[in-house]
Amino acid sequence: MAGAAPLRVVHLTKRYRTRDGGAFEAVSDVSFDVGAGECFGLLGPNGAGKSSAIHCISGFYPASAGRVLIEGFDVHAEPKRARQALGVCSQEETLDSDFRVFDQLVRHASFFRVPAAEGARRARALLGRFGIADKADHLVESLSGGMKRRLQVARALVSAPRVLVLDEPTTGLDPGMRRSLWEILVEERAKGAAILLSTHYMEEAERLCDRIALLDHGRIVDLGSPQALVERHMGAATVEEEVRPGVLWRRPPNLEDVYLRLTGARLAQAEAQ
Amino acid sequence: MKLADAFWGVRCTWLRYFDVFRKSLAYYLVTTFSEPFLYLLAFGFGVGGLIGTVHSNGHEIAYRSFVFSGILGQTVLFQGFYEASYGGFVRMYYQKIFQAMAVTPITLAEVLWGELLWDASKATFAAVIIAAIGAALGDFPFYAPLVVIPVAFPSSLLFAGLGLAVAARARTIEEISYPQYLLVFPMFLFCGVFFPIEQLPQPLQWVAWVLPLTAVNSLMRTLTLGFPFEWWSAPILAAWLLALVAYSRRAMFRRLVK
Repeated sequence: MAGAAPLRVVHLTKRYRTRDGGAFEAVSDVSFDVGAGECFGLLGPNGAGKSSAIHCISGFYPASAGRVLIEGFDVHAEPKRARQALGVCSQEETLDSDFRVFDQLVRHASFFRVPAAEGARRARALLGRFGIADKADHLVESLSGGMKRRLQVARALVSAPRVLVLDEPTTGLDPGMRRSLWEILVEERAKGAAILLSTHYMEEAERLCDRIALLDHGRIVDLGSPQALVERHMGAATVEEEVRPGVLWRRPPNLEDVYLRLTGARLAQAEAQ
Repeated sequence: MKLADAFWGVRCTWLRYFDVFRKSLAYYLVTTFSEPFLYLLAFGFGVGGLIGTVHSNGHEIAYRSFVFSGILGQTVLFQGFYEASYGGFVRMYYQKIFQAMAVTPITLAEVLWGELLWDASKATFAAVIIAAIGAALGDFPFYAPLVVIPVAFPSSLLFAGLGLAVAARARTIEEISYPQYLLVFPMFLFCGVFFPIEQLPQPLQWVAWVLPLTAVNSLMRTLTLGFPFEWWSAPILAAWLLALVAYSRRAMFRRLVK
């Protein structure tokens, strides 16, 4: 498997059964690779299929069709081997509130067969890196929302994963904390991790992601680098935006313009309904 | 290799629960043992002093010993059911521990086995302690704490299966009260914990025998008090065990995995 991307998503489709006996296709024939040292963004409006795709990629939900390969192992056929290389930070808070902050990281590392002494070393290093070393002996419930979020990302890193899946990791963080987390993600990317990042923050995607897939109605509507997407859909023309009644801003186009252009029809439809 | 890997995953999950138990030992000891102790004191010594002896299954026996043995069944019922139902619901719905563990090399199937086995282990531990107290007070033979284990563990697993199935089906934590009041409490009251089921009208005796706690109490009394072995208790227990463990796992998979 030398040279193969650490994360390969191949024709992934996810259908749910509806209550009336029908089927709803949340993810439709989605394919992409995330290479070593690459940060790949998954953008799309709520309900576009990002979380369903991430649940399938982590192997928690079975795929209706297609495959997900992590370091060459099919995450559904060989979940243990595939997920040995996977770190996941889900959108929901899934911290184990029965453990104190430090113990939680060591315990999570043990799920990856990391010996206790090594787990403790990594936990100490991560807590320092995420700025919560002084909370090591605290219960999770005593942490602020931002600290919990950082701890959850730290937990995803404690197994030193080759593939990192982050579902809206910076939600609820203040701008300073968000930038600190960006720096950590840049460091992880530099170490060779393949990062799949789902986010609603366009600035975050533009700064961190080497390539981005824009998802709508479960399908990839376009895929490319942030610059390529902007050039393809917006060109070099200046964007005019009325920010307040009578106040017109002119600025270069950005990823948010692309996002709104490609998914805006849906928003308009929702408003009309 | 696959079996060893699966065992490792189940063991990791079980150890996670054991660590939580160990770290909050005082809390768990109080919540695990205060209830059976209170029943023992109130019914064994209080009511037992008024009643003296009871006739059951061809035996005349001190009411305190009869109740003591019933408390063993009550312990596996309550400990197995409550840990898996309320505890399982909290871990699944609020803490999302199942979801967090099942995206590591531990699979959801292993997490659920770890959950059930831990719930059963904890309830069995409680039953062994109750049996040891019964032996120390002279109500049971000295070997009772050991001989109850082959019945206490599968019974605990059965009631943990019931609890986990309830957790999987409940939309809110309040909904767990329905099976608690409509199934668990009736079992507690009418399946031979406090009085011989021969006291019930015949149709109610049949109903009591359909419920698993009657079989558990029958087997416990055979082991601790030397009551005759009612052979049908074993297949009733086995049938409930297989059905509830299989159903609870299926229900939890359906709840979590879309």
